[in-house]
Amino acid sequence: MAFDPSSLRPLFPILSQQAYDHPLTYLDNAATTQKPLSVLDAIQHYYRHDNANVHRGAHCLSDRATNRFEQARNTVAHFINAPEQSHIIWTKGATEAINMVAFGLEHLLEEGDEILITSLEHHANLVPWQQLAFRTGARLRVLPLTSKGDWAPEFSRYFTDRTRIFAATQISNAIGTTTPLKIMLEHAKQQGAFTLVDGAQAVAHYPIDVRTLDCDFYAFSGHKMYGPTGIGVLYGKNHALEVLMPYQTGGEMVRHVSHHATEFNVLPYRLEAGTPNIEGVIGLAAACDFLSAQDRNALLAWEHTLAEHVYSRLHKEGDIEIYSPEKCATLVSLSVPNIHILDLNAYLDSQGVAVRAGSHCAHPLMAQLGVAGTLRASFACYNTMEEANRFCDVLLEAIDLLSDE
Amino acid sequence: MTDSLGQQKPVNIKAQLQACRSKEETFKALVTLSKTLPRLSAEEKIEDNKIKGCESAVWLITTETNGVRHFKADSDAKLMRGVLVAILSLVEGKTLTDIQQMDLKTELAELNLASYLTSSRSNGVLAICSQLQRT
Repeated sequence: MAFDPSSLRPLFPILSQQAYDHPLTYLDNAATTQKPLSVLDAIQHYYRHDNANVHRGAHCLSDRATNRFEQARNTVAHFINAPEQSHIIWTKGATEAINMVAFGLEHLLEEGDEILITSLEHHANLVPWQQLAFRTGARLRVLPLTSKGDWAPEFSRYFTDRTRIFAATQISNAIGTTTPLKIMLEHAKQQGAFTLVDGAQAVAHYPIDVRTLDCDFYAFSGHKMYGPTGIGVLYGKNHALEVLMPYQTGGEMVRHVSHHATEFNVLPYRLEAGTPNIEGVIGLAAACDFLSAQDRNALLAWEHTLAEHVYSRLHKEGDIEIYSPEKCATLVSLSVPNIHILDLNAYLDSQGVAVRAGSHCAHPLMAQLGVAGTLRASFACYNTMEEANRFCDVLLEAIDLLSDE
Repeated sequence: MTDSLGQQKPVNIKAQLQACRSKEETFKALVTLSKTLPRLSAEEKIEDNKIKGCESAVWLITTETNGVRHFKADSDAKLMRGVLVAILSLVEGKTLTDIQQMDLKTELAELNLASYLTSSRSNGVLAICSQLQRT
């Protein structure tokens, strides 16, 4: 039986509003998802009942806040099947997590070393490596994945004995393509490279098992998986986190400080300078609980159904170019020749349909596709088939209105 | 010399936009207005004439004869061409001093174009306004 998202709608009251006198159709979930009541309640409860700084005051509130905070680490570790909760480092989001690794590994890089990424990366998993290459004299190389993400045997040549870091997205934010992670990670590991997976677009949809993935680092953001903004996670294997130089220093991350020397704290605290985003951590744990309480496979199948439905309706229209895979995507990214995506977006917006038009922080990928940007409708578990159809209907209306006769 | 605003009179443009009662009506009015904007030639659409800070590409050419300013503009986005027709109708044929004394943001808001002035989507329009008021 098909999954019915109507049971989830009441958990997301923001969705039942009007946008310019039309029912809001929120299809910008790859940018950020809406948050269920349980996440909002957890944050509210924390401030109403438990608010105190963590890991310091020996008093009732601080103990409770610290317990909730560390329990959240445990929840997230469990959520991605990390072996130890000390392998979970709190960050502002996936971007900070990747920067933390890029700065933390700098001391290990030499001129001529290679950093390998793929052609499908978000700027967040490109610019930190490019800048690291500039600083160290390392060379940034780009595995030329096609927009379909297929593996080609000749790609193995990109993994060399100079490859020190391999960083790849699990799913392209711009076009929804799933990358051939397994084989890429195998090649990277054969060369002894550190491996990082950008999971920002995957966590909301796919059950994540970092032990099966077997990457050194896994980065993701809370706000794209029904959690709050401003919180994210860097998971790392113990040895990988241990070699990272802390890229921020200060309170909380130290064990002993004199004016002349500092002894750093143990993991995970060594990499968490300053008072953390406590409400974010607690909200993120609630988001993990929300997802874990669902039948994840049923949610994913539903999201695929919505994207496949939109694909099948729109690909028949001769003047629409779709860049997303036909199957197993959770978004549809497209453009229409001779019509500006901002014009399409403006009409969709005027009808209450929220999507994203732009380059999706992936300029090199847009260049590879030969477009300035795309229009992206991205789905979450709470989206309905009516919403998928409304997007198609309104888009076709927009094309009609904007076509030059 | 052709009038850079086509046949439309500023007063008509104002009336058309002010009559819009919804986002959809404004959208349709801008699409209609966009058709009145004479397009620039490829030679005119050069980097020097491009306005930085727009999501869509916008080109603006300013000339001055007998102390008054004339404008030609284009964009790759249709709605932006409609917005350009509206903006240029406010400033066409005026002196720089007069243009500099105008509150363009308020005048555009009165044309139901306030949502094109928010920082997220109309950095572009704000950039155009400040370009128009520059020497």
